Amino acid sequence: MRLIAKMVALTSLLLLTLPSVFYLAGKMGLDRVKWIMILATILWFVAASYWMWPRAENSEG
Amino acid sequence: MSTEEEKHHGQPPAEFEREPVPAKAQLGLKEFVGMYAGEHCAGTELMIGPLFVAAGVSAFDLVMGLIVGNALAVLSWMFLCAPIATRARLTLYYQLENITGRKLVTLYNLANGVMFCFLAGAMITVSATAVGVWFEFEMPGLNDLYPNSFGWVVAALIVGVLISIIAAYGYKMVAGFANIAAPWMVLVFLVFGLVGLKQFIDATGTEISSLGDLWHLGTTQIWKGDEPLPGQVKFTFWHVMFFAWFCNMAMHIGMSDLSVFRYAKKSWYGVASAAGMYVGHFMAWISASILYAYQLHLDSTNTDVLPGPLAFRAAGLTGLLCVIIAGWTTANPTIYRAGLAFQAILPRVSRFKVTLATGLIATIAGMFPAIAMKLLGFVALYGLILMPMGAVIFVDFWLMKKFGLQSNYAQISRKTFNLAAGLAWFVTLGTAWALVKFAGVQIFFVSLPGWFVAAIIYIAVSKIYQQKVHST
Repeated sequence: MRLIAKMVALTSLLLLTLPSVFYLAGKMGLDRVKWIMILATILWFVAASYWMWPRAENSEG
Repeated sequence: MSTEEEKHHGQPPAEFEREPVPAKAQLGLKEFVGMYAGEHCAGTELMIGPLFVAAGVSAFDLVMGLIVGNALAVLSWMFLCAPIATRARLTLYYQLENITGRKLVTLYNLANGVMFCFLAGAMITVSATAVGVWFEFEMPGLNDLYPNSFGWVVAALIVGVLISIIAAYGYKMVAGFANIAAPWMVLVFLVFGLVGLKQFIDATGTEISSLGDLWHLGTTQIWKGDEPLPGQVKFTFWHVMFFAWFCNMAMHIGMSDLSVFRYAKKSWYGVASAAGMYVGHFMAWISASILYAYQLHLDSTNTDVLPGPLAFRAAGLTGLLCVIIAGWTTANPTIYRAGLAFQAILPRVSRFKVTLATGLIATIAGMFPAIAMKLLGFVALYGLILMPMGAVIFVDFWLMKKFGLQSNYAQISRKTFNLAAGLAWFVTLGTAWALVKFAGVQIFFVSLPGWFVAAIIYIAVSKIYQQKVHST
């Protein structure tokens, strides 16, 4: 399950960044970029919390 | 920019406080790379980048100044801080206590705590600008020193009180959240730059078909090197270089990161700081500066440096979240550690109460935009104030025996106030103040000669002081 969360989290980071590259290349409008970014943000925090939280707790002792 | 305390997001728990870190607790390079990369992307980066533009920096001065200055910062971590850290493996505070004595360390803690309070205040200011986008109250301008609207005071108060309560109750929870937010935040900063660049390309009708075209856009439209905005100091290559080198001076030359690198297996792990410098203090500053330059391009009378609106224009809701989270996750450990510094002075008061009170002081500071709007100068001052103690540690560790003097003098002589270290600190700061006040030297340039002043005074006074104490 954690592996899936990790994959979703990493994919969400791509989803966060790539639209702005498409925008820079003139292939996507800014409004769409913003919508995809907020979706990617939600995905990241949900998936990364599941993936990273126990490790973060451990490192904090 | 970051503080020593921010680095504790991914740090081991505060242990081995009065003993060297044993081999089994030491960490690999990867831990330090991740830690520095994430934690130098703080809310304050969104102020610093725009302030460079307000200071009329040119493209060459900015890019080359950041490349060279950040390299010097990394070298300072590698060759000044980490070698001592991996040999002594002690916290800054314990090492300093052995050299200077308990009373002088207490004074150092007080200075450290006060500076952290103001820094946390600037982070609260940054977060409050995001609230302003939603509620549309009047926000401070570039040259405002005092709060300029009731809405602003209420926003800073609410943000600051929430951050303070969470810092007092749930430091570890926020530290864990900060670890998760860090990779996302770094990429949002990158997006700010990409979107800002495209907005510039569209607004100017520039055709980009090569790197040369991009550089031409940068030099003629983004970082034009004009006169600075009213009330700002003109920034040249030297300003940018020294600022990038010294903005974390308290950490490398000032030796605060002894507490971090005492866990490193090898001293060359100091190179890991490059991840923080070239992500946070290069990419993030440049990205943030593009957003502000675009705002000026659209309306040259709109000189307000407000991270909330800047981020919202580029990345919408995600940008606003980034501003709030960047401010929150970095203010949290700053307030917490400022509280720890004050608690060392008031050991009978609970950590909860001290942290809460510290947070409230930072909140009041955050209502005053002066610190955030004058952040370039404040950061230089912050490094300058703590730097002389770094020179004292360096000299004490490497040079004292060569001059026939005793290292860790306070520990051996059971002194609670090492006069040589105290004078090195105060006289250096006095000299720096005089240079700024009377000789017209800008604050960005006094720290380098100041280090040598501190080192020479420490050796010279130790020569007299140690002899005198021995003879009595």
